[in-house]
Order: sequence, then structure tokens, then C-alpha cells
Amino acid sequence: MTRKAHILLIDDNPAENLILSGLIRKVDSIDIELHYCRTMDSAIAFLLSGEPVSMVLLDNLVHPRGDFRETVPALRHQGFIGPIGVISSSPGDPYFQSLEEYGADFRIDKSEIDATAIEFILREYLPD
Amino acid sequence: MQENHRRYDLYEELETALNRVDFFRIFHTLALRFGFGHFGVLQLGNENDACMLSARLVLHDLPSGLAEEYDKRYRFGDSIVYKALHASNISSVWRADDPVLVSGQNLPAQLGFELLLCVPVSAATTGARYAVLFLGYGGDPGQAAHYELCYSAASAFDYFHRATLANKAGMGLTPRETEILKWISHGKTASEIALIVSVSEHTVNSHTATILKKLDVVNRTQMVAKAIREQIIQ
Repeated sequence: MTRKAHILLIDDNPAENLILSGLIRKVDSIDIELHYCRTMDSAIAFLLSGEPVSMVLLDNLVHPRGDFRETVPALRHQGFIGPIGVISSSPGDPYFQSLEEYGADFRIDKSEIDATAIEFILREYLPD
Repeated sequence: MQENHRRYDLYEELETALNRVDFFRIFHTLALRFGFGHFGVLQLGNENDACMLSARLVLHDLPSGLAEEYDKRYRFGDSIVYKALHASNISSVWRADDPVLVSGQNLPAQLGFELLLCVPVSAATTGARYAVLFLGYGGDPGQAAHYELCYSAASAFDYFHRATLANKAGMGLTPRETEILKWISHGKTASEIALIVSVSEHTVNSHTATILKKLDVVNRTQMVAKAIREQIIQ
């Protein structure tokens, strides 16, 4: 039986939701349900609603909030203890070295997200 | 890392890699850059040990279940590639239609690929042997590309081993590890500690595994006992 994973994408650009939805359709080893929130407030409300969330993929800059150093702790303060991955177009920026101190699990470049990367991340963070 | 060590294009990525996802990104990008589709980092172990491919892969981006399906149908130890990796440290290129790869021992074909490039590597501190595999389709890489891939794979493996695979016994704990150790000693579960320190449960488990390595112990009870004995925690 195929496993199910609930991914919450938080990104103020709806186009990223469309792109990720397309990539996820290419992953056949795990049944992925993608949830999408455009703002941090709606994401926090979603987490508090009790809907299942296995993993959060968070755009590094969600306006009007700051970068992951502000947004990841805000998610953690809601009691979310699943993995959080930060999506950025410049994950090599020096401040990403403190990723784990702020409660994030991993970073990934927007251009690196493909079906293989999604499968790897799910295997790594949501094992059987 | 000494400045004398040349890392060329990978310098920034290797110096700033934090975890397994970062090394996945490095190896995966390397595979794509050289025209391959996938990579695997394989622990070689002893040649005569019974071995399964899925158990020997310490990091890979193969499709989920592929190595496990292979293990159900074939014996990795019988493959000519496995034997060659134990016989020589020279990088090797294998094609599925290579006449030397007789039926039943043809690893690239059994995995569904046309081309396999193997870069033998070893851990600097222990000498333990590994191989970085690149799998894909199409023609052989040229000589210059082959040299470059071997050098890059060896560099990436060196960082990967030191960051994630090496035995860290005797190394000091970080402040975050000490904090997690303190909560473990208070009887908190991984999920409770994740809530308390505002990280994921996965991060807590990862830190716990590192603490076990650093204190050279095998379970949480022994970990706490040793930490108290050595006055890491009160």
C-alpha cells in the first residue's frame, strides 16, 4: 500500500504551488497531498486546524514577514514538530549556516526541486 | 580543511554543507552536471560478507524501492562490479551491453541503466572503503570529464564522511546537544524535547544519534549515565 504524506507549501507566489503540484505528480512511490497557504497567518491557522501536516516547505521570504529566521520559529511556536524545509533561490547565503538553530531541518534551491529531490527528502524525513 | 586542498567549483558547497540533504544536493547536482541521472554512495565492507545493495547504500537518489527490488532478485555480492570494486581502486566505467558483464551479474542492466561509473574512495581517518556510483544513460564521459568527476566525487565524499559518517567519539558536545542530553536525562521523549527546544523531532533524533557517537555509548540509559559520570550534566 502506498504511503501518504501531507506537505504544506507556504509561499506568497501561487505559481510555486502550481509548479510543485506538477512535480509531485511525478512521484509515484508516495501518495502526496499538497496543501497550500499564501501567508504565514493562514499557514498557522492551517496548522492549528488539526489538518494532518507531515512536512512544511517554506519559501524563505514570505511577505510581510522576514526570512526563515523569523518564520520558522513562528511555526515551531505553534507546536509543529515535523520537518521544515526552507526553499530559497540562494541557499548558499551565509545566514543559512544557522538554519538548525532556528528550528529548520534543511534548505533547498528552487531550481533543485524535482521528483528525485522530493522522493529523497520524504525518504529521509518521513521513513516507513 | 587546509587551503592546500583544491576543491575548485565545489568549494563553497562543501565548506557550508550542514546535513545529508546538503550532500544529496551536492552529489545529485554532480551527477546531473556530468550527464548521469542518479548517484549512490556505497559502503564496501568485506568482500566475503553477505551483502545487500540496499544495506550498503549510505546515501543515494535512486528511485524509491529500486535497491530493495534488486535485492529480492539478485545477489549484489555476485555482481562483477562488486568484485571489481574490491579488487582495484581505479575508477571504472561499465556499460549494460559490456560483454564482460555476463547475465546475472550485470549490475547496470539489473538496475535498469545503460551506464555506471564507479569512483572508489576511502575514509581518511579509518581507511574504510566506499565507492561513489553514478548511473545513467548515454555514452561514456570523455577523459577530461571522467578525471573531473573522480576528483569532485572524492572531494565530496571526504566532506560527507567527516560530516555524517565518521565516528565522533571523544568530540565535545555542542550547546544544542548538551541541552538535548539534559532533557533526555529528565526523561523527556523526542517529541517532547522537539516542542521544548523548538526544532523537529527528526532534528532531536539526529542530535541524539550524534551524542551516542560522541560519548561512544549504545543507548540513552548508558548515555545519561556516562554524561553524569563525566559531569557533562548534573
